[in-house]
Amino acid sequence: MGTFMMILVMAVFVNNFVVVQFLGICPFLGVSKSTPNALGMGLAVTLVMTITCLITYPIYMYVLVPLELEFLEIIVFIFVIASLVQMIERVIKKLSPPLYNAMGIYLPLITTNCAVLGVAELVIDKGQMMSLLHISSMNVGVAVLYGLFAGLGFTLSIVIMSGLRGKVDRLQVARSLKGFPITMVTASFMAMAFYIFNLVSID
Amino acid sequence: MRMYWTILSAIRWGKVGMVLGIVAALAIVFAILILVVTKVCRIQEDEKVTAILEHLAGANCGGCGCSGCAGFAQALASGKACLGDCAVTSKEEKAVIAQIAGLPVDDSEPTVAVVRCAGGENANDKFDYCGNDSCLMRQSVMGGAKACSAACLGGGSCTLACPQGAIRVRDGVASVDKSICTSCGACIHKCPRALIERIPVSAPVYVACSNRCRAKDVMNACKVGCIGCGLCARNCPNGAITMQDNLPVIDYAKCDGCKTCVAKCPRKIIREHNAPPRVKKQKAPAKTEK
Repeated sequence: MGTFMMILVMAVFVNNFVVVQFLGICPFLGVSKSTPNALGMGLAVTLVMTITCLITYPIYMYVLVPLELEFLEIIVFIFVIASLVQMIERVIKKLSPPLYNAMGIYLPLITTNCAVLGVAELVIDKGQMMSLLHISSMNVGVAVLYGLFAGLGFTLSIVIMSGLRGKVDRLQVARSLKGFPITMVTASFMAMAFYIFNLVSID
Repeated sequence: MRMYWTILSAIRWGKVGMVLGIVAALAIVFAILILVVTKVCRIQEDEKVTAILEHLAGANCGGCGCSGCAGFAQALASGKACLGDCAVTSKEEKAVIAQIAGLPVDDSEPTVAVVRCAGGENANDKFDYCGNDSCLMRQSVMGGAKACSAACLGGGSCTLACPQGAIRVRDGVASVDKSICTSCGACIHKCPRALIERIPVSAPVYVACSNRCRAKDVMNACKVGCIGCGLCARNCPNGAITMQDNLPVIDYAKCDGCKTCVAKCPRKIIREHNAPPRVKKQKAPAKTEK
């Protein structure tokens, strides 16, 4: 339970993928115009992140490391993510058309989402993960949980951002700031708010 | 030449083989997996739906109440929607769709949306509203700041909803630009007071008020609101206007555009459809001077 809470707090708040690690900025700014879309994108990313961790972690630990082929990680991970997204898209289309319709075009877009590759790269970094989460050993379960909560953190920030943008877009701002610049300013203030979690020490 | 040999002999061929092997193995495994998944998860997509979707306008405005054009195509194919719900698709395309789906042809005249309120600064305020801009919020605070229960709140929720940008809030009242409006209906669902409705494009006049109260109540609330006097209905040479609940209802099939009603209306609330809402420009500065 302690580890579980630790992963939750670390992945969702302290090391939020978007506003602290600056990964996945493209969908964060591109798909945050309306809250339902943002939620769909967030959930799609969460799903892909979780399954990616479930598959890339064993491939790295049990195939690449014993063969001393660690340098292949990026190629292999991109490969796995791209194929996974294809498969997940088809499975969802079959199992749950409403969910497929809700996620729509965002699912294929995730193929090129750096946050997904980022989480795959992060969880294989044993030393960093262990010091981050204060645990003595790393396993697939932790990797998958981290992927899940990293995705939920992404969802949280993109949904908050969509709400903020809904408000900010109505405001009268200087013409030079209208549109994208004011969105960036909003994002930076949001990132500052999230940065406060870094001051929280967890023992 | 010798340098190349040194480089070549330094390459660990076993490792290269392993790399190639792993990449090839992954490629084959995932290719097979994707093939299998595709095969297992194949859905029989309704040919009718795809055919209908091809002929829809593809505006994805949501005015029909479905989620995008794909949802509307599905609803059409299953008979849950009628073609009249979509205002964006052209007549010719609709005829093709009617043939595909076996639906009755929708041959009604194209429509546009109008805001049936001319209030704004003419309508009296109950209090000064200060807060969130959306109409729903305005409506929820003591039933809106306007004294008239059917007055445009001026929050601009319809403006935001309009995919064409055809609606503007001028002097506190929303108005639709007839030349841009595609009658998609997105704004109609957004207005908390249901002030927006569709009328034919060629309609010469419309009633710019939705207040069904008695004359005295309307007089107290608004300078221009319809008082239900019935002069328009009595004077219409074609009998196109009938009074219902203190409001004139115009039968556009009978109306020939003589505009007698516009001239006769004591409150000037029956308006020419092509003209933008008349706003007394001089009023606003006079108020601020006070």
